[in-house]
Amino acid sequence: MSLKSKPILIVFRLIVGGVFIWAAVTKIADPLSFAQDVKNYRLVGQTLSFLTAIFLPWLELIAGVSLIIGVFPRSSALVISGLLVFFIVLITVTMIRGIDVNCGCFGTFSRKADFLLILEDSIWLLMSLILLFSRENDFCLLKRKS
Amino acid sequence: MKLLKCFARDLKNTAGFLPENLMSLKKIFVESDTWQGVAFILALALILGTVSNLGLIKRFIAGEFNQAFISKDQFPGLVFISLEEAGDLWFTQKAVFIDSRSGYEYRRGHIPGAISIPLEEAKEKKGELLAIIPREPSLVLYCEGGDCLSSLNLARILHESGFGNLRIFSGGWKEWTAAGLPVAKESEE
Repeated sequence: MSLKSKPILIVFRLIVGGVFIWAAVTKIADPLSFAQDVKNYRLVGQTLSFLTAIFLPWLELIAGVSLIIGVFPRSSALVISGLLVFFIVLITVTMIRGIDVNCGCFGTFSRKADFLLILEDSIWLLMSLILLFSRENDFCLLKRKS
Repeated sequence: MKLLKCFARDLKNTAGFLPENLMSLKKIFVESDTWQGVAFILALALILGTVSNLGLIKRFIAGEFNQAFISKDQFPGLVFISLEEAGDLWFTQKAVFIDSRSGYEYRRGHIPGAISIPLEEAKEKKGELLAIIPREPSLVLYCEGGDCLSSLNLARILHESGFGNLRIFSGGWKEWTAAGLPVAKESEE
């Protein structure tokens, strides 16, 4: 199957975009809980945890929607790939530090930050990278240059 | 080695990872469209995040979330107390102390009379453990101190289970021992 295979790319966009929209909506619904989840990683203080909880879910939501509807799809794939790389590094560092923490990725549906989560994020990252590097631009409201 | 190279080439071809099918990283980064899009996404997130959370931002600036991200409306009766207040409550026996650290840490030393409810066990055996906590008078929860969060997370569980009048001694075990206040070990009790 080639990267020029349009159905596969559309499926990838729906999956990755959908996951990001779902993750964002669960966090937007309860920003304070998400701020506490961020604080639980013990990497940043109160203010940065709060700012992350205020802006990150919206970044995820807009990137997810953009990817699906095709407004700046390459940019949204770039943002999503960047976020996923950050999440994978964050979970790895947290595991190395021996901190047992809820990932906070899906609000109240979150689970433990562990190896399985890294694997899951890696799958989304692979799909997102394929979208980033692909020349196809189906569903694009704003056509991109290829 | 040759076999591996052949396999890698076949895999690339099958997956479509051919140079003509892919855009180069350089081209993606050089394209102005890419950065316009990133700027658009970031700006929109910044605007929507600010607008939708204006109320919370005001409360944060006012200092409501200085100690924890707990809304006073959502968690009435949950307050943070200092070492002096914790000491007063302990000496006058007006509160039951709850130690949310691990069982091992509790056995090594704890505030005398404190009940051990490790956070992880509270999550797993909620009903069983919560049954041993008295509902009156008030409860003082503590963990190691510093940036420990298990007392706060346990307070959330207790609040959800119907406990009111919860106090979190944020200085925790470190502050208590540093002040030279009484301590107990499991063998002494």
